[in-house]
Parts: sequence; structure tokens; C-alpha cells
Amino acid sequence: MSLIDEVTREFSRLPGIGPRTARRLVHHLLRSSPEEGRRLARALDSLVDRIRPCRICGNHTEEETCAVCLDPKRDRSTVCVVESAFEVESVERTGQFQGLYHVLGGRLSPLDGVGPEDLRIEELLRRARDGDGEVREAILATNPSVEGEATAVYLETILRAEGVRVTRLARGIPVGSDLEYVDGSTLAQALAGRREM
Amino acid sequence: MRLAQLVLRSFRNLVDDALEFPPEGVAVVGPNAQGKSNLLEAIYYLEVLRSFRGAPDRDLVRFGGDVFRLQGRVVTAENDAPFQGGRPERTVAAAWQRSGGRKKVTLDDVETERLGDGVGHVCAVLFTPADLALVDDGPHVRRRYLDIVLSLSEPGYMAALQRYRQVLSQRNAALKAGGHSPQTHAWEPLLVDAGSRVTVFRSRWIDTMAASFSRIHEEISGGTGARMTLDSGIPGLPEGQLELEGVSEALEVALREARDRDVRLGTTTVGPHRDELLLLLAPGEGAQDVRRFGSGGQRRSVALGLRLLEAETIRRRRGREPLLLMDDVFAELDEARSMRLLDLLHRTAVGQVILTAPRKAEIRFRQEGIERWGIRDGRILR
Ligand SMILES: [Zn+2]
Repeated sequence: MSLIDEVTREFSRLPGIGPRTARRLVHHLLRSSPEEGRRLARALDSLVDRIRPCRICGNHTEEETCAVCLDPKRDRSTVCVVESAFEVESVERTGQFQGLYHVLGGRLSPLDGVGPEDLRIEELLRRARDGDGEVREAILATNPSVEGEATAVYLETILRAEGVRVTRLARGIPVGSDLEYVDGSTLAQALAGRREM
Repeated sequence: MRLAQLVLRSFRNLVDDALEFPPEGVAVVGPNAQGKSNLLEAIYYLEVLRSFRGAPDRDLVRFGGDVFRLQGRVVTAENDAPFQGGRPERTVAAAWQRSGGRKKVTLDDVETERLGDGVGHVCAVLFTPADLALVDDGPHVRRRYLDIVLSLSEPGYMAALQRYRQVLSQRNAALKAGGHSPQTHAWEPLLVDAGSRVTVFRSRWIDTMAASFSRIHEEISGGTGARMTLDSGIPGLPEGQLELEGVSEALEVALREARDRDVRLGTTTVGPHRDELLLLLAPGEGAQDVRRFGSGGQRRSVALGLRLLEAETIRRRRGREPLLLMDDVFAELDEARSMRLLDLLHRTAVGQVILTAPRKAEIRFRQEGIERWGIRDGRILR
């Protein structure tokens, strides 16, 4: 396989990029100044080297602990539970949420062999249980897909047992769509109108 | 609704062509294995976006070809509801490419966002000799019948059904992996939500259409009564329960009570995936399951009745006169049933009819008015 083919294939592995777009990207880089390609390569290199999960919430960070968890102004009694760090960014962009996060790293999907032990659920329970016992309310912000809903139902059961108040993002988010595609204002509304489970 | 034009490209053995159909329809006459059924398969493909014979798309591409393409121009008839924007016609096209395995569906040259958006635009009902399986085969065949009819007539049904199927397969996987556990039971509220919606759609349709079914069947069979009813996969569901709340409650209880058994068997044993559309003969005097007790002729009448009911559903729910596609149907019926079916069609079906027959003698529908085409080696002879 030629080098060009190889890079094209790497690009087309990315979500939303088909073989045609991948080819266009490669040829764009080849036409541009060598520095442009090097800059991209360096950025990618440090991205994978330096970004790691926050030891508390699982959010992306370059340090041990992420900026949200370190921020003394955040309300430590409320935790917004999301499937991935991507959704942390979506919720942060609304500017409506002052609490902390917990990233599950996926959702329940028995068909794919994903059970509770494959998600960061023990860590969530620990945050509710020990430490300062700070977490009073969990806002379940998993996606409104079948798997996201089931994950929320499951979390509700086990968090309730720990005495945590559990709320769910209100509808307003179109059923069947991923949070990824929901615009900020819809998400902000859903956040404000979260409901008791 | 009628099909004005069909453009064929590399579909099965059919020669590439642009066929203009007369408003009242056409009879395609020719020996077997010339491509008569392939023509109806092509037309019905544009309605459901797959082969009615269950053939995979790759088998539909002409031998040695890479892409097949079908394009139909449909026109609303006099009393039909117009298309969006008040337009009287619409072009539906479907193409499938072997290399890449991609299906592309367009409505008026705009690709549909989801494949499901391209379904049901021809308003066609297909009659084939294989319809007898609707009566003779297991319950899944009648559930599929319900699913197709409801998907084509009730907005929201297909989405509810797809969601139900997805939750169901997740719960079954959870039952096998997790046994009794909170993560297994977490799927139940979702199953209740989607499953009760599916059940209510089905129950309401049966409730609305049951009388028409009895009437249609009486006309074809010459007096024998028949009845259809839902034998729900939710045990304890009160008969005639058509409200979402009541159905949800019944399904919730049924699932809870089935938990032990479901865990033991590793599968979900209650819910609409266990529904049976019961078809009964002779109501009143000890109704009997036509599948087990019906004669050949009775079973055929009931199967025919289901197709005519499908047409009636399109008429009522979508406000359009359906296009009837009949694949060598009369050959299978005895003389008396044929005559009564013809009589019924003459009185109720005022739309376009495209039918096939092996010999001229088999064409009895609209003898006088209907145009005849021949077919040889996949070439339509006009
Ligand atoms: Zn953090």
C-alpha cells in the first residue's frame, strides 16, 4: 500500500469522513506548506500523549484532575452523569450548569457485552458514598437512545439506594437523536427542566 | 393512485425500458419464467424498498451487472389526497449498487434522509398465490402482515416497532448475561413503553377494521362468516383494552410475573412479539381457527380477504385509492370465488390494476376495458 493510501485510510476511519473526503484531505495537505502537515502531526501526537481521564470524574484533562473538578466555585453536591467526555463539553457550552461531572465511558449494552462493570459506575458510587459524602444529587444526562435510557434506569436504582437524589434531563431533546447533535439552547432547556425519577 | 410510468434498469431479467401504464391498468400475459412476476416485483419494490419474494438486493441486479435502478412516476387519481404541496404527481426511485452494497432512494430526485421515508409512496397492494401462507404459516407471518400494513398506514408505528425490537434484543442479551439483577430489570420500563405503543396500534387497527374484514370475507366466500381478533402476547390484557395506560399496566405486570421464567429461559416470553392475529371461521357457533380447520377454499378466501383489507386500510387511512398488483391470482381460485372476487373488485376497487396471467383465458378482470401486453424473455411487448 502506498503512503498516500495509508494516510487516506487512516482519515476515513474517522467518524463522518468517507473515502472521498479522506482523499481530499490528504491531497489538501500535500498541496499545502510542509509546516501545515507537521503542525497537525505534532498536535495529534501531543493529543494522544497528554490527554488522559481525570482521576475524579473521567473528563479529559492534561493534569491528574480536570479544570472543572479543581474549580472551587463549582457546586460539589450536584453531579451530571454523562456517557462520554464529549457530552461534558456540550453541557459546559450551555454555561447553565455549575456542578461537577461524572463520565461513564459508555452505556449499558448487553448485545455488545457492555455491563455495569465495564463503565465507571463503581467510581460514581464511591463519590456518592465516601469522600466527603458530598454528592447529593445526580443528574442523569445519558443519551435518549434505548441504551442511554436503560443506563439511566439502572443508575437510578442503585443511586437511590445510596440516598442520592436522582433527576433526569427533561425531554425536549428529540427522541432517537444523540446529544452530540442537539443545539445548545435545547440542551439548556432540558437541563433546566430536569425531572425527578 | 396510479402508476403512470416505470423505468427499468438492469432489474432481474427485465429488458431496460420505460413503460407507460394506462390509467385503468394492464394485463401482462405470457408463459411462465418470462419475467411477469419480476415486473410486479419491480413495481412493489418501489412501495416497500425490498423484494416481496424475500430476495436479497444483490439477487435483483441483472446477471453480470453492478447497479439496478427503478423509477416510478405515480399520479393521484380523481378523489385521492394530493401529495405534499398540493402536487398531483411524484417520482419515486430506488437504486442498489452491488459494489459497496448501497441502496439509494429518492423522492422527486431528493435523496430521502432515512430509507423508511421512502416507503409507501406508491400505495400498492400485492396479491400473489403465496398469500396462502398468511393463513397457513406460523404466527410470525401474520405479525409481519400487521407490521407492513401498519407501517404503511400509521405514522409512528414503524418507529415504535423498531424501538421495541431493539429493547427486546437488549433485554434478551441481558437475561442471558446478567440473570436477576438491576441491570437486567432496567430494560423493563423501556420494553413497557415501546411494547404498549405497538400493542395499542395493533389493537386499534383490528378494532377499526374487524367489521370490514368480516364483510369482505362474506362477499368473497359467498356467505360464510369470518372474524379476526388479536390474541395478545400480553397475558391478562383485558379484551378490548385500547388505552395506552391500561396496556402499559398489563405489560408491566406481565413482565414482572414472567421474570423467573424469562431468566431461566434467557429470553422474553411476554409482549407483542408473541402476538397472534387470530382468524376465525363461523363466528357465533363455536368459532374455529381457519388455519387448523379451514378447507383449501376457505383458507384462500381468508388470505384474499387480508389483502383486500390492506387495500381498504390505504383507502381509509391515507385517502388514496390503492394500486392493485395481482400476480396470477385467478388461476388459484375456483370458479365461484373468482366470480365473487371480480364482482367485489368491480364494485370497490376503482383504481388501477396491473395483473399477470399465463394465458388469455385467465384474464377476467375488466375484460372489455383493459389493455393487454405480452412478455417474452424479459421484454414487454406492447
Ligand atoms: Zn474531573
